[in-house]
Amino acid sequence: MQTPYLLWIILVPLIGALLNTGFYFYHIKYKKIPEKVFAIIGTVTPFIAFLFTLNLFFKLLDGSANLEQTLFQWLDVDSLSVEVKFLGDKLSIFMSMFVTFVGWLIHIYAVGYMKGDDGFGKFFAYFNLFLASMLILVLADNPIILFVGWEGVGVCSYLLISFHYTNADNVMAGNKAFIVNRVGDLGFILGVITLFFALDQSGLSFETMKTNINMAPNELLILSGFLLFVGAMGKSAQVPLYVWLPDAMAGPTPISALIHAATMVTAGIYMVARFHFLYSSVEEIGLFIAYIGAISALFAAIIATRQQDIKKILAYSTMSQLGYMFMGVGLGFYSSGLFHVFTHAFFKAMLFMGAGGAILALHHEQNIFKMAQHRKRLPIISATFLIGVIAISGIPPFSGFFSKDAILAASFQQGEYLIWGIGMFTAFLTAFYMFRLYFIVFVAPNGQESQYTYTDKTITIPLLILAIGAIFAGFLNFPAIFGGSAFVDSWLSELNSIKLHMSHATEYALMIASIAVAGAGIFVAYKKYASFDVYKPESEEGLIANKFYVDEFYDKVFVQSIKKMSTFFDETVDTKYIDGGLMMICREFVNVGKKLAILQNANVRYYAFYMLAGISAISMYIYITLLGQ
Amino acid sequence: MIDFVFVALSICAIAGGGTMVLHKNPIYCAVGLLISVLSVAGLFALLSATFMFMVQIIVYAGAIMTIILFLLMFLNIKEQDLPPEPKKNILVAMGVILMIPINLLVLEGVSRLEDSDMSIVEEGFGGIKELGMKLYTDWLLPFELISILLLVALVGAVVLAKKREKRGVKNG
Amino acid sequence: MASLTGYATVSMILFSLGAIGVVSRRNVFVIYMSIELMLNGINLFLVTFARYHFNMDGQILSMMVIAIAAAEAAIFLSVIILLFRTKKSLDTDIFTELKQEVE
Repeated sequence: MQTPYLLWIILVPLIGALLNTGFYFYHIKYKKIPEKVFAIIGTVTPFIAFLFTLNLFFKLLDGSANLEQTLFQWLDVDSLSVEVKFLGDKLSIFMSMFVTFVGWLIHIYAVGYMKGDDGFGKFFAYFNLFLASMLILVLADNPIILFVGWEGVGVCSYLLISFHYTNADNVMAGNKAFIVNRVGDLGFILGVITLFFALDQSGLSFETMKTNINMAPNELLILSGFLLFVGAMGKSAQVPLYVWLPDAMAGPTPISALIHAATMVTAGIYMVARFHFLYSSVEEIGLFIAYIGAISALFAAIIATRQQDIKKILAYSTMSQLGYMFMGVGLGFYSSGLFHVFTHAFFKAMLFMGAGGAILALHHEQNIFKMAQHRKRLPIISATFLIGVIAISGIPPFSGFFSKDAILAASFQQGEYLIWGIGMFTAFLTAFYMFRLYFIVFVAPNGQESQYTYTDKTITIPLLILAIGAIFAGFLNFPAIFGGSAFVDSWLSELNSIKLHMSHATEYALMIASIAVAGAGIFVAYKKYASFDVYKPESEEGLIANKFYVDEFYDKVFVQSIKKMSTFFDETVDTKYIDGGLMMICREFVNVGKKLAILQNANVRYYAFYMLAGISAISMYIYITLLGQ
Repeated sequence: MIDFVFVALSICAIAGGGTMVLHKNPIYCAVGLLISVLSVAGLFALLSATFMFMVQIIVYAGAIMTIILFLLMFLNIKEQDLPPEPKKNILVAMGVILMIPINLLVLEGVSRLEDSDMSIVEEGFGGIKELGMKLYTDWLLPFELISILLLVALVGAVVLAKKREKRGVKNG
Repeated sequence: MASLTGYATVSMILFSLGAIGVVSRRNVFVIYMSIELMLNGINLFLVTFARYHFNMDGQILSMMVIAIAAAEAAIFLSVIILLFRTKKSLDTDIFTELKQEVE
């Protein structure tokens, strides 16, 4: 069913970005514009987008068919026909709901966080642009438009990570994020191309692909599924393309909250969910995805136990939770994975925002031990932080429990006990390191009286709203065995290839097991860190604390060798051979010219001689032709 | 009889021309040219062009050659004033080689024409009357133009050879 | 011998001698005299064909050529005097002031 509103969801933040850009140019060239103007434009536009999304959500709830909006034909070459078309089916409206809502809250938060910054207007321009790109990604009807949004969020991520560009470290982090993402993008494009040819060039929109999927040869489907997942690996920071995510924490905290917790990193999972028809027909790749998710979750959790920067801990925890989401999605439980995306957006954004508030209050200190040493009293921030930590550890009735438990139950049911085991152990580690963070920063005694510090309302109010979501969002998918409606499951049920149907006893047992594991983690953290001496920070030596030296390994193997190759091509091939060759040709021309210039010696007698020679040659020629007749 | 005269005149003309091309002293060259011009005048007479014969002797031999000889003597050229010409013979040889194709071409073209009677005509051709008739009817315009040309040459010669005054201070 | 071909041969030889003289001699007087020799050869050619076709046009043209040669003589010799005044030499190879040195 056609609707004109899909475009407006995307266009409103885009207009906000353009307005902010225009105003910002005016601001730096002519007269200063007060921050309020940028803030109002920046925060009103996501809210309007959210209202539009809500409208479409209710339409779909009433049972209408999938909403579409075609703009124009973009490419029409031979058999490749790409339209700029938006699709508002249950999956994309679901995604854009929480993207716009959480995005709106974080925009409000950013008003308080970025107060007094010189590039205030620029920040909101980039932020709105990011939101518009993410919405393009989510609402796209074919992989090409999805890729436009994919690239857009990558660019905005780069722009925002290196926001304080005068510091070279930030710029390097931005470069790293963009370049590693690029490796993933290559996989994505190759996957789309493979899929296009596998489907015998029959069309690229998701719906046509879904209907034609059975006529594609299996090997090509496996290949394209793998390649598409490489793109997801880059965007969603899974092993081995995760190295950019911890470095991306160099950007301001609102960005970490929005991009690297709630939206951009979930683009990979959304993409896998969009291609569910592909992954359902090649189960080997699905299993591969689940294993990569499990490995990433475990790997990140281990590293997070020894990190000392508060934002890096949260970054690794994001990577770990993304691993959970891929576990769910890879096994065919799209609704569980996407539900975890939903709940994770709430509590991770809240955790990041709380961390940002604490960082601001403690004058941009990010090391958890130093933060503990100079602790101030921040009631709302510590309360919401506690709620977030409990939610992520998977303690009922907070939302994290329901989503995580559904994924673990699915893996147990499918017989993937290894994945289930890794998931359980990672849940233990998650609880452990999150409570380690909480205890050190907010609880461990430092022998001083902490002073109360006021935090801006624009920071605390979004925190409170998200806290409500973190606590109660779980009830949106209350499992059937407790008599709930399992709303999200039924909303996204058309994606699922597998249904949960275990005996109640198994389900209860698994739930108790995951609660026990989380409780054990909390207990161990409590024993170790609740009364930790914050003046003796943990050492930074060791394999785990150095992130398993992965960055150094990548640098040596990939970066240095490519640099050497580039230098070789630049100095030797380009300068010596290509330049040298061309210059040699030029010099030869000049030499020939010089030799010919000797003929022009300004002595007219010689010119007469040349003329005579010319006439003689012509007459010789004519004479010979004349003889022939 | 005519053939004999023709051959003699031709040899004189060619010899004069040859002397002119090869000799170092310009006076000898001028004399060679003079002989050549006079021989060509005789050839004109053999071709029944009586008026041309007279004009050639009066204008060419009488005026142009005289002026050349006069100038040569006027400029008081000494032995050392003459330009050194070390490569003259080689250049002449090269010139001969260059001219051969042109000659071949023209002579080949001429030889393909039919033969005709080239004997001397007594009356009615080549005289002043016939020349005048043609000149003032068909060739009137070229005639006028030639006279303008001669005027221009006259003025030009005077202007060029005038003594130049020393350049004074220009105004402005 | 006194046929069309004979006269044509003689005239071409005179013309060739004139052309050779122009390209091989350095003395400016000799160059001028070679030009006159060329004109002479052409005059002979024209008159020959006037007789061959029994048409006076050739002789009229020949007379025009003589008139032009006279005009040319006036100008040419004035220029020679000018050149001799400035350079004090009759060598044509010294007039190379238009030449530009190659870097």
